[in-house]
Amino acid sequence: MATTTERDDDTSEGGPLESWTNGVLKDEAKRQRLYRALFWTACGFFLVTTLFPFYWLLVLALTPNNRILTGDWSLPVIGVEFPHPQGFNPVAFVEVFQVVPFHYFVFNSFVLATTTTIIVLVIATLAGYVFGRLEFPGRGALMLGILVISYFPPAAFLIPLFDAFLGNPVVVPFLGIELFSPPRLVNTPGSMIMPFSALFLPLAIFILTTFYAQIPDGLEDAARVEGTTRLGALVRVIMPLSAPGIATAAVLTFISVYNEYFFSSIMALENNPENWSPLVGGILSYQTQYTTDFNLMAAASIVGVLPVVILVIIAQERIVSGLTAGALKE
Amino acid sequence: MSTEQRGSEAGRESQRSGPIVAVTRWIENLGETAFAYLLLTPIFVLLGAIALYPLLRTFELSMYTGILGEGEQEFIGLQHYVDLFTGDANPDLPGSVIFLPGISTDGSFPFVHVENWVRSTLLVTLLFAVISVFFETIIGFGQALVLDKEFRGRRWVRAAIIIPWAIPLVIQGMIFYLMFHPSTGFLTQYLSSWGIVASTNTLNDPTSAFLIVTVADIWKTTAFMALLILAGLQSIDRSLYDVAKVAGASRWQQFRLITFPLVLPALGIAVLFRVIDSMRIYGLIDSVSSCTTVPSLSCMVVETFYSSRGLASAVAFVTAGVIGIVVSVVIYQQYKEGI
Amino acid sequence: MARVTLDHVTKRYEDVVAVNDMNLDIKDGEFVCLVGPSGCGKSTTMETIAGLTKPTEGTIHIGDTDVTRLPPKDRGVAMVFQNIALFPHMDVYENISFGLRLRNYDKEEIDRRVDEAADVVQLEGMLDREPNELSGGQQQRVAIARAIVRNPDVFLMDEPLANLDAKLRVHMRTELQRLHKELDTTIIYVTHDQAEAMTMSDRIAVLNAGELQQIDPPLVCYNEPTNRFVAGFIGSPSMNFVEGNVVENGVETDNFEVGFDPAGIPSLAVGDQVSLGIRPEDVYLVDQIEDPDAPHLTDRIDVRTDVLEPMGDEIFVYLLLEEDQETSMEDQGMAGQLLMSVTPDTEIEGDEDVDVVLDRSKIHLFDTATGEALAHGVADLTGIGSEPAAGEVESDS
Repeated sequence: MATTTERDDDTSEGGPLESWTNGVLKDEAKRQRLYRALFWTACGFFLVTTLFPFYWLLVLALTPNNRILTGDWSLPVIGVEFPHPQGFNPVAFVEVFQVVPFHYFVFNSFVLATTTTIIVLVIATLAGYVFGRLEFPGRGALMLGILVISYFPPAAFLIPLFDAFLGNPVVVPFLGIELFSPPRLVNTPGSMIMPFSALFLPLAIFILTTFYAQIPDGLEDAARVEGTTRLGALVRVIMPLSAPGIATAAVLTFISVYNEYFFSSIMALENNPENWSPLVGGILSYQTQYTTDFNLMAAASIVGVLPVVILVIIAQERIVSGLTAGALKE
Repeated sequence: MSTEQRGSEAGRESQRSGPIVAVTRWIENLGETAFAYLLLTPIFVLLGAIALYPLLRTFELSMYTGILGEGEQEFIGLQHYVDLFTGDANPDLPGSVIFLPGISTDGSFPFVHVENWVRSTLLVTLLFAVISVFFETIIGFGQALVLDKEFRGRRWVRAAIIIPWAIPLVIQGMIFYLMFHPSTGFLTQYLSSWGIVASTNTLNDPTSAFLIVTVADIWKTTAFMALLILAGLQSIDRSLYDVAKVAGASRWQQFRLITFPLVLPALGIAVLFRVIDSMRIYGLIDSVSSCTTVPSLSCMVVETFYSSRGLASAVAFVTAGVIGIVVSVVIYQQYKEGI
Repeated sequence: MARVTLDHVTKRYEDVVAVNDMNLDIKDGEFVCLVGPSGCGKSTTMETIAGLTKPTEGTIHIGDTDVTRLPPKDRGVAMVFQNIALFPHMDVYENISFGLRLRNYDKEEIDRRVDEAADVVQLEGMLDREPNELSGGQQQRVAIARAIVRNPDVFLMDEPLANLDAKLRVHMRTELQRLHKELDTTIIYVTHDQAEAMTMSDRIAVLNAGELQQIDPPLVCYNEPTNRFVAGFIGSPSMNFVEGNVVENGVETDNFEVGFDPAGIPSLAVGDQVSLGIRPEDVYLVDQIEDPDAPHLTDRIDVRTDVLEPMGDEIFVYLLLEEDQETSMEDQGMAGQLLMSVTPDTEIEGDEDVDVVLDRSKIHLFDTATGEALAHGVADLTGIGSEPAAGEVESDS
């Protein structure tokens, strides 16, 4: 410290900025302070940029709609203009369910997400067991195949699926043989649950493969000698011990379905809860039918976002581990 | 322990019979390979029906004319693809959307001009992917470096950073719709005064809408990048930094010589992953702006599949092909490292 | 009822043969150890008996039932694993009763049998503990209780003591022997530790490279190994081997001769290359014995002592046979070296010239090329000292 200060004095003939720069370069304590300041600035910047849009939703939702259009959003506090609510109108959060039956849309989303999650977990558990614990020819190629399919865009699947879900016959490609005519599935949960399951299955498979592979072979062998079948050992020993992995796969699948847009907006032909239109339909019906009710759009968004925000706060660790395991494993 | 007890276990086994026991016994006696394929049957069925069949059928439909719900009309081979790339298909695309951008070579600097890029489906998709992933990587790296530190409230900062990733696309779209809608969005006021976005009809102005959609995507998916990079950062052996400090490396040198090279593999995977994902963009455009304003590939499939099924199929297959190119890079990378 | 028979069992993995044409006949109530170095196929053999692995060829019988195609749960076997393999999500009671609950026994029956089993392994009062609250020894007892509670026909134990510390291992050995007496059930025990096999088993099956080398009572394996591999594997420290040739009047090595009449042993012919095997305890210091010229001993051999390893109850002395004392031990390897064990009160130092003799009756001769045993014990030339244990090996194997 003493020596650096001395040197500081030697070189401080220039301007104050130069001496400060020199000080930072040479003085360990000053440098630490600079890093800390930089760190907290970055931290604050990221917090503001990620959270500000939500604050904006709240501002709009609480502002009475007639004042939104005329509103002056700037509030000259300490010289900074900052948007703030123009009045206080919490009734918007009630109206949101009255103007459009928004709760039905959310309910549909929950039903679709829960059903898909269960289907995905059952199928991915079998696949995770196979890929994580069995050795057989074709294992690598099959995993790669599932990975590749998960990369393809939903748009590449849409046209034949929509055709089939309208009730038109399923035709063997390139052979022209009509297999069967499926029931008309558009406007039913089936037309969404099936594509959702296929879409989000690969991630769940890779997460569960990772977790199931970590259970020691001895435990499975012990269960089988004690009297279970191979599948019995999966259900009684491997799955209970992989509970965190199953929770991870479940949370990520649920969030993914709840957030899905493509099939959600297309397979329900109208934005109508009777047609099993989910959250997407609810929000879009405000955007397309009540085009000036900006406060309701904001309130609906807040209501729709709450379930996932709660889920993120509760299951943060699971989401982080699942995303990284799923992606880096691949 | 008596001998009569000893026999009881075997007795219990042989007593049980019936179809369920027979099936269980049959499954249990399958060899490992047969057992594996039996358990994979549901996946083969599901992925076969929902992914493989539609993909092949899309390719088939792209070679026929006709409209949705009808059988194949007329076989025209690869004509739809040819039309897309020659521009003959442009009139069938909605609004003023074109597939490839125009190129003029009028001799002035820089000699080749890309015209109407913002109307071109292919270019808009590729540009969107490149720009959004570029910024997501840089910002995500910053977020990861912040989250890599131990500090009070780290858990909450991490939750705050993840939340945008976890919210529904339609609500993300709504948020940016409300932020940039000329009637409500205070942002439009400032940004238009600086000439960044159009002051009226902002969300229907192609360039402005492209910009807003890109910003919205960066806002939402940066968290994903940050988490993957963070995982890479946390797998670095901390003692390497001690070695570097002893050797007298500055913080910048530590970053350049240790952190960056060791995170690079994870970063590479994350970038490719995001490029693939961002090329599928549809929902965000549909909810913030409209598909005719910002024409992505997926958008064009949805916009045209009612009216021109064959052309839509061709666009869909081109989308799959473009993504397939990036996927093969990923697979090659995996293959090199050995799966 | 619980005899275990393996008939020509072979297990192949793609290009590796893990078990090759294994024939075993284990009697009811017998305690048999499968020993061998790692990768010798002993665990695979056990897995085929348990049903965890299906053999590529051959059949397995437990009692009179052909179990080759039966799943593990229907074979009436119980198994104790090396890594103990207690279910971490179940308490001790649930672990022990797991198999019974799967078979839908009624509650009272389960309770009675769990109590009984816990009693046998001295786990009373611990039934509601979680596995991770138990010590290693207690965990292994739970695993054993889980095995005995079902009254299986056969116990399979795959290195159950390998993960325990040395002291506990010795203690558990005696417990297992007590248990075997108490239950009187067939026990098949896999270990790589030949001392464990020697102390516990009725018979030892020595395996190497997927093939059965010898199956005999421990002392037979020790005294009359069928080949060089068994001779070297059983016994600690290992038997000494010295290469030599059969000559007119005995066996000649680079450094010494052992005189006898090769004609007395039909399997030997003059000119044969043989390995002469002698255990460290059968090498004697001339100074230490009363009559070094007794007929049951060989002629004196000049050696130089090298390293001494005092073990407390005995001293291991490394002896250099080579005349050239300059070469260090590393250079020579094991070739010109002999290990001798002497009593701890022996006055001996390193780098000292001494004379040793070998016990003729304990000399083993092996065919250098095939490793097959040719003779156990060689009589002296006059035939006076022909030992009863000595004799040729029948060349049927």
